Amino acid sequence: MTTENRVSVQLKGLRKVYGDAVALADFSLDIAPGELVALLGPSGCGKTTALRILAGLDTDHQGQIIVNGKDIASVPANKRNMGMVFQAYSLFPTMTVLENVAYGLRVRKVDKEKRNKKAQELLDLVGLGEMGSRLGHQLSGGQQQRVALARALAIQPNVLLLDEPLSALDAQVRTQLRDEIKRIQIEVGTTTLFVTHDQEEAMAIADRVGVMRHGVLEQCAPPQEVYLNPANVKVAKFVGAMNLMPAQIISSDSLKIYGQSVALRGSSATSSKDPLALVRPEQLSLTMATSQGPASATVFNLTFLGPLTRISVRMNADARTLFVSMPSAAALEFVAGSLVDVQIHATSVLLDS
Amino acid sequence: MKQKLNISNYIVLLAATAFFVFPLIAAFEFSLRSNQGKSHDWSNYQWILHEPGFRTNLGVSMRLALLTAVAVLVLMVPTIVYLHLGGARWKRLVEFVCLVPLVVPVISFALGVGTAFPTFLQSTVYELSFLYVIISLPYTYRALDVGLSSIPLLTLVEASRASGATMRQTLVFVVIPTIRSAVNGAVFLAVALSLGEFTLAVLLHWDTFPTWIANVSQGHILNAIALSVLSLVGAWVVVMIFALAPKSLRSSKSQEATS
Repeated sequence: MTTENRVSVQLKGLRKVYGDAVALADFSLDIAPGELVALLGPSGCGKTTALRILAGLDTDHQGQIIVNGKDIASVPANKRNMGMVFQAYSLFPTMTVLENVAYGLRVRKVDKEKRNKKAQELLDLVGLGEMGSRLGHQLSGGQQQRVALARALAIQPNVLLLDEPLSALDAQVRTQLRDEIKRIQIEVGTTTLFVTHDQEEAMAIADRVGVMRHGVLEQCAPPQEVYLNPANVKVAKFVGAMNLMPAQIISSDSLKIYGQSVALRGSSATSSKDPLALVRPEQLSLTMATSQGPASATVFNLTFLGPLTRISVRMNADARTLFVSMPSAAALEFVAGSLVDVQIHATSVLLDS
Repeated sequence: MKQKLNISNYIVLLAATAFFVFPLIAAFEFSLRSNQGKSHDWSNYQWILHEPGFRTNLGVSMRLALLTAVAVLVLMVPTIVYLHLGGARWKRLVEFVCLVPLVVPVISFALGVGTAFPTFLQSTVYELSFLYVIISLPYTYRALDVGLSSIPLLTLVEASRASGATMRQTLVFVVIPTIRSAVNGAVFLAVALSLGEFTLAVLLHWDTFPTWIANVSQGHILNAIALSVLSLVGAWVVVMIFALAPKSLRSSKSQEATS
C-alpha cells in the first residue's frame, strides 16, 4: 500500500507567541517528499507548536506553510488533508475501532462499503485486523495508538503528523510501536513530521532529526550527524550524554585535554579563561595504569546497562568526575578503586560556550 | 469498591422511600375510586382518554416540549462546546446569564414578552417555547457543562477536525454521542419543564396540558388526580427511556465487540 501523493513541506519564518512567551522564533524547516523528520527538544521548546501550526490547529501565527508549492496558511485544518496522531488517546469513544478508522472517509461522504474496506485494510496494516468491532476502551494503550495511526492514514494524508504518539506507552510497547511506525511510514511513503522529547526515539525513527530549543531549530540533520557532529554546544549538550573536560587551547584548531592533543572544531571558539571541551562517554576509553600521569583516574562506580557499562571515574589531577561507556565485556577488568588512564578518541571536539 | 449498608442506612433509605411512595400509592388509590368512594375501577382514567381537551392540550404541550428541546440543543451545545474549547474567558458571563432565570420572577418574563417578542410570535402558542428555553437554561447549562467537562473534548475535536470533519460534523458525529447522557439529561429537563409549566401559559392566556389539568381539577377532583398519576407515570416512562436506551445501546455494541 503506497500513496501517490508524496508531497514536500516548507515551513518558512514561523513565529508564534503566547503572551510574552515566544514559542517559535523565525522557525524554518524543509521536509522532502516521503521523508520522516523528527523534531526533538525539551518540553516548551516549540516543537508541538510547529506541528500544530502545520496541522492548522494553531492559526494565530506569522510565516508561510508551503505544501507542494502552495501556501496553505489560510486553509482550515479540516481541509489540509493531514493525518494526525495525538499524544493523548484520541479514539472516539462511541465508535468501534472500524468506525474510528473509517471516520475521515465518512465525513468525506465515501460510501459505507468502500470506507469499511479501506478501514479494514489499514487495520490489517497496523496488525489489528481482528479488532474492528471493539470499542476504544477495550484496547490497550499501544493498540489504541495503532488505531489512531490507521485512522490518520485512512484519508491518504498529504502529511502525517505524529505528536509524541508513544509517550503514554510503557517502554516495551513503545519500542515495538516505534519500529511499526517506521515500517508503515516506509510502506506508505507519506511525508511525516514526528514530534518527540525522546532522543532515542527520534534517532531510531527519523531520516532527519531537528533539534529545537527556545523556539529555534538549532540543527536539522541525519541522526548520525546530529550525534557525532552537533552544530553547536546546545545541540551537543542536549543530544546524548556529554563530559565537560578542562582544555588548554594550543592554536586556533587544536587543544590539549589532560595532556592529549585533540582537534578543535572550527566554529567553537570561546572567550572563557578556563574552557571546557565536550567529549562523549563513548569517545573515552580506559586502560589499567601502573603509575600516575596527567590522565590518571580512579574508578569509583560501574553501572551495568546490558550491552554497555558506564564507568564513573574521578580524575586524579583535578578530582573531576567523568563517565566512560564501553562494552560490558571489556569493562569486566575494572573494579571500584582501579587506577586507570583515560584516553580520548574524539577526532574533534567542541568547546562549551 | 462497594460500601456495605448498615442498619441506619437502611432506615434512612426506607424512610425516604416511604416519603416518596406513600403519597403516590394514596393518589393512585384515590384516582381509582368511583361511585362516591364505594368501589374502585378505571372510570376516571377512561374519562380522561375520552375528554376532547386531553388530546388537544397534550398535543400542544408535546409540540412545545419538542420545540423547546430542539432549541435548547441547538443553542446550548455549540455554545458550551465553544466555552470549553477556546472561549473560557466568556464562561463566567454565560454561566451568570444562564443562572439569571432562577432569580427573575416568571411574571417579568410574561410582561417582557409584550415588548421584546415580535408580534407574529406573540400570536402563536409557540412563543412559550422561547420562554421555556430561557427558564430551563440554569438546568440545561449545568447538565451539558458537566458532561463536556468529563471528556477530553479538545483532543476529540482536534482529532475529528484533523480527519477532515467540519465543526458541525464534529458536533453531530463525535461530541453529542460522547456526551449522550448529558444531552439526554438536558433534553429531559427541558421536556419535563415544558410539560409541567403552568404560570407562563396562564399569564399569556394559552391553553396547554397543565392549564387543562388545572381547569379539570376544579370540577372533577378524582379525574384530576388520575391525570396527575398518569402524568407522573408518563414522565417516569420518558425518564426510563432516556436512562436505559443509551445503556442498552452501549451494551449491545459491547457484546458485539467481545463476541
